[in-house]
Amino acid sequence: MLFFDIVRRALRNLLSSKARTILTALAIAVGTFALTLTLGASNGAQDYAQNIVKSNFDPSELLVSKDQNLFQRQDATQPQVYDPSFGSITTFGGESRQVKLLSNSDISKLASVSGVASAEPGISVSLQYLTRDGQRKYIGTLSPYNPYQSPELLAGKIPSTLADNTVILPEGFLYSLGFTDAQSAIGQNVRLSVKNQATIASTLPTNSASLLNAQSSSASEEVNFKIIAVSKTPNTVISAATSLYLYSNLNSVQNLNDYIYNGTSNYQKYLVANVKVKDGTNTTKLNTVEAAIKSQGYGVQSVIDTEKTITQVISVLEGIVTVFGIIAIIASVFGVVNTMYISVLQRTREIGLMKALGMHRKDISNLFRIEAGLIGLLGGLIGSFLAIVLGIGLNPVISSKLGLGDSKLLIFKFNQIGLLIIALIIIGIIAGLLPARKAAHLDPIEALRTE
Amino acid sequence: MIEVKNLTKIYGKSENSFKALDKINIIILDKATVAIVGKSGSGKSTLMHIMSGLDAPSSGTVIVDGTDIFKMSEKKIDSFRATQMSFVFQSFFIEANATCLQNVLLPLEIARVPMGKRKKMALDALDAVELGEKANLKASTLSGGQKQRLAVARAIVNKPAILFADEPTGNLDSITGDKIMKLLFNLNKKIGCTIILVTHDEDLAKHTSMRIKVKDGKIEAIEGGNK
Repeated sequence: MLFFDIVRRALRNLLSSKARTILTALAIAVGTFALTLTLGASNGAQDYAQNIVKSNFDPSELLVSKDQNLFQRQDATQPQVYDPSFGSITTFGGESRQVKLLSNSDISKLASVSGVASAEPGISVSLQYLTRDGQRKYIGTLSPYNPYQSPELLAGKIPSTLADNTVILPEGFLYSLGFTDAQSAIGQNVRLSVKNQATIASTLPTNSASLLNAQSSSASEEVNFKIIAVSKTPNTVISAATSLYLYSNLNSVQNLNDYIYNGTSNYQKYLVANVKVKDGTNTTKLNTVEAAIKSQGYGVQSVIDTEKTITQVISVLEGIVTVFGIIAIIASVFGVVNTMYISVLQRTREIGLMKALGMHRKDISNLFRIEAGLIGLLGGLIGSFLAIVLGIGLNPVISSKLGLGDSKLLIFKFNQIGLLIIALIIIGIIAGLLPARKAAHLDPIEALRTE
Repeated sequence: MIEVKNLTKIYGKSENSFKALDKINIIILDKATVAIVGKSGSGKSTLMHIMSGLDAPSSGTVIVDGTDIFKMSEKKIDSFRATQMSFVFQSFFIEANATCLQNVLLPLEIARVPMGKRKKMALDALDAVELGEKANLKASTLSGGQKQRLAVARAIVNKPAILFADEPTGNLDSITGDKIMKLLFNLNKKIGCTIILVTHDEDLAKHTSMRIKVKDGKIEAIEGGNK
């Protein structure tokens, strides 16, 4: 029998028992539904993570630390031995850790590594407050501007090189600081206040009252910054963490940072440095520089590592859902086996007739295997179709609830779904192997005698 | 020509063995109409199954047109049956959910007849049994006699050299049964196939040119001859 005839006959057989075929396929569809949603969520999460990284990190930059362990999780069950050479005890990620800090000589050393375009200290200044005349004081953060970020502007322009003491003001502060609109803020000044930590550091507060006293008596300074642009609040939560950051040039930020830490052990010491690699979007070049810096004893994290860290948790959750989906599919395989066995029993006389008419054993086996494969195909189509429909329906709701803006949580890729369906066809065919073997080996005379 | 030589069939082993056929020798010429007659359990169906290659003998052989069918591979016997033999059974064995046309197409699909030729051949076979108008009706809608005619159409669609009919009128009333037999004998003349009829009905057997009476696995008598 020609393959085409076998497929056509298999289709006809399945259509002649529609209810049984659909019910068996539905069992497969449940697993497919879960796996399709998982794939969609995985794609969405990857896309989301990439967007976070893309909007916050320059892919050609490496984050470098003096401490190789900074980017790794330490064994929190064992105490860390105190090392006076570290010079600093800081809190990172919620745990108390001793971390080696970078000095200016480290920054110069990093800048001289072959393939490095520039090395800058990674600093963000926690402002005591920012304000304007007659306005309330607000807490805030000032960071060096990285042209890679290219924020959407409501007013003003960002020059290729920012002048000292100029600032990009985020939309979030616009009305709070008494501006009527973005354009009216351009050219105006905001006062940024920073407090020197040396006084606080030299005082050992014994209670909250003495701490307050130490803070109020410490030196502080207000610096005027001219607003050159107003950045629009991003319409997604992707940049939420930095949406209220003010940006200036590195020199201005560093000056404030130096003022804060002047007289302390952390003066001109940095947790991380941003190292820009020449042609760093080329992975090979980036990896070469990363290896060179690591070989000098520094800790390095690339954007890919950052992305991996973000997607790690998502991957674990995905893994759990995937396992459930696979379990559902394995369970449905037994359904296919059962259905096909029943089909063989019900069609014993038909099998006998086909054998009497000269149908080869292999063709009979193929007929049942193809029927099982078609059940897999149907289950795959139903499951993935329902998942896609649900995804299309849910995406706007989820995006709006989670504030993802234009990002979608469920992204379906048809090549992945195609591969999933092909896998299900193969699984169906495998599930049909034993019933097909039984059919192929039926004694035609016994089969024809069956009532 | 079909030559059955020293055909013996034993079921089971040692003490529980049962000899269904015992050294059967027959020669059937082309285009003959032959009835294998005997009571239930006489071995007539076993003889038909072995002659058609559906079952294997314990000893002896069957030679069709000079070829020992039991020296062929399983695949070749299948192909031989698909192109040279056909069957009509007492229980019709039609696919109820398929149309009449689809039922008749089955042997053509198995024999890998080119697709372009199939439909015409199937419709011709249905016309030959006067079911041409019902080609697209579901087989389940047919009466018992019509179902057996459909089974005959399926049996002749490939223009087989040998047609085995196992109690073809067993499930039909006498009038319908007579019609089916007339149809088969007419087809024997029209397409020139050898008809081997297995029956316990001696009246029916009288219409054939040769009658082989089987009793307890042995040939009791051969009446008539090849025509």
